[in-house]
Amino acid sequence: MVKSVPTAVRVLASVLVALTMLVLLAPLVVVIGVSFSESEFIAFPPKGFSLRWYEGVLTSNTYLASAWTSLQIALLVTLTATLAGGAAAVALHRGKLPFSGALATFFLSPLVLPTIIFAIGMLMFWSRLFGQVSLLTLWLSHSVVALPYVIRTTLAVLAESDPFLEEAARTMGAGRLQRLGFVVLPQCVPGLGAGAFFAFNISFDEAVLSLFLRKPDLTTLPVQIYGQLEFSPDPSVAAVSAIMIFLTVLMIVVIDRILGLQRFARS
Amino acid sequence: MATVRLNAIHKSFGAHTVIHGVSLDIASGEFVSLLGASGCGKTTLLRIVAGLESVSSGGVEIDGRNVTDLPPEQRDIAMMFQSYALLPHLSVAENVRFPLRMRRLGTREQQRDRVRTALDTVQLAHLADRRPDQLSGGQQQRVALARAIVSTPKVLLLDEPLSNLDARLREDMQVELIDIHKRLGLTTIFVTHDQEEALSLSNRIILLNGGHIEQQGTPADIYAQPGSAFASSFLGAANLVPATLAHAGGSTIATLADGQRLLVAGGQVPAGATTLALRQEDLSLAAPGGAGLQACVRTRVYLGSRNRYVLQLAGMEIKVLAGNEQVFTDGAMVSVSIDPARVRCLAR
Repeated sequence: MVKSVPTAVRVLASVLVALTMLVLLAPLVVVIGVSFSESEFIAFPPKGFSLRWYEGVLTSNTYLASAWTSLQIALLVTLTATLAGGAAAVALHRGKLPFSGALATFFLSPLVLPTIIFAIGMLMFWSRLFGQVSLLTLWLSHSVVALPYVIRTTLAVLAESDPFLEEAARTMGAGRLQRLGFVVLPQCVPGLGAGAFFAFNISFDEAVLSLFLRKPDLTTLPVQIYGQLEFSPDPSVAAVSAIMIFLTVLMIVVIDRILGLQRFARS
Repeated sequence: MATVRLNAIHKSFGAHTVIHGVSLDIASGEFVSLLGASGCGKTTLLRIVAGLESVSSGGVEIDGRNVTDLPPEQRDIAMMFQSYALLPHLSVAENVRFPLRMRRLGTREQQRDRVRTALDTVQLAHLADRRPDQLSGGQQQRVALARAIVSTPKVLLLDEPLSNLDARLREDMQVELIDIHKRLGLTTIFVTHDQEEALSLSNRIILLNGGHIEQQGTPADIYAQPGSAFASSFLGAANLVPATLAHAGGSTIATLADGQRLLVAGGQVPAGATTLALRQEDLSLAAPGGAGLQACVRTRVYLGSRNRYVLQLAGMEIKVLAGNEQVFTDGAMVSVSIDPARVRCLAR
């Protein structure tokens, strides 16, 4: 039996948990609250109740255009980061590449490198070599930032898998491609799924790179929200944010259903 | 079913040589055990037959065909891994069907029938739709076995397949393996560090030590006549007692370090320094003063049906397995005797 926790510690722990919840959830409450406000100004607690800001957002061309840009980029990033990250994870997991350790560190470096430095570097590099930034620039740079997440989640599931599976498959007559399709890939699926989820969210949410690499006709949703907040703040910003929160939660539920059910079927 | 021939196999990992020129001929349908302690090269040898490990020099033939340079997927083999290596995302039936699918053996219906037969053989047909992690260790092990036999490979390779099971299941599985081998007659190579498994399962035991073959023979031969101190200590956990042999008038006498003398049947062994191999179960104990060797009881370990005694004899410890008829307490003097024909005299 664990010795009972002293009351003082228990109280302290509860307070800490409550504070953490508060810090995490309070901004969401404020944002969602403001989004239903009737007033022209961002003020909490909201005055009255209306859906006018939602209506405004969903009929605003600027918001919809930037949301469409963000969605396109996020989907492209999800695809490339998942493909490249999954392949990199499999290669790193096998550990047969020369300088495997150094490569792993290199692939994960976007996690520690300040994004703003990468953003400035990317802007200078791109304009020097290719001129104007484009959707391709954002696609590539978001992919770089999202890559480590896919590698991490995929490496994590590979580390848990039986190291002899591939050898066993060889003794059962499976060639290289068959092993990839029937053994390695199915092992990676939960990691790739989680990684894809991260990649999508990171790209959709990313503001620093998008701010540096923007053009008038290439504005992502976070940049649009930022601009709106800076130049003509009104509760429409809160309404957009509330929609993004709702979509994220929806996505988590869906992903958890798919991956969670898969886990459930296995256990 | 096929013959397997290993031709002067050498294998090094960097500067470290693990197999020193092993040659071996395995007859069609034979059940051969590679027996040895960990690090003796038995698993490496098995992996070389499978093709999972390359050779540094030497060759491998399966069914008269040189397969030395063929990858595992092109050798007609099946291997059962210590970890079972079941594919976690596939059902039991899909796991068993995997080799048929990969090797494109038969139509879908034929594959289904063969899977069913293989699962029936290991009595798991009722679990065909489960996932591997919904099975017990013993059941997973049988799925792995079914998967190994479903394609009726030319050679069946078993890498310590029973070591993860508890004692009772292991005994059941031994019987099952013997049955399956009798029924299918597959050429089988079985790797184990457990002498009992090797003795009870195989037609022939290859005792490996430090990367070479120490001794080989039928289980009965190798148990009754271990050729070296290593073989006797590994098989049957014999006591190894240094002694000096002298031949006198048709009988042979061994003198132990403390001067006590023992009659042995070592007529063909030259006189001089030797090592006696005395099996624990061949020694018997009696009250002191009789004809045997005089020893002192250090410890008695109660084993239920028997006792294991640790005795002090001629300045060393020896172990004896004895029944429950007469019990000796710690510190008691006893007389130890053995049938002279049961004493193995090993060359030093």
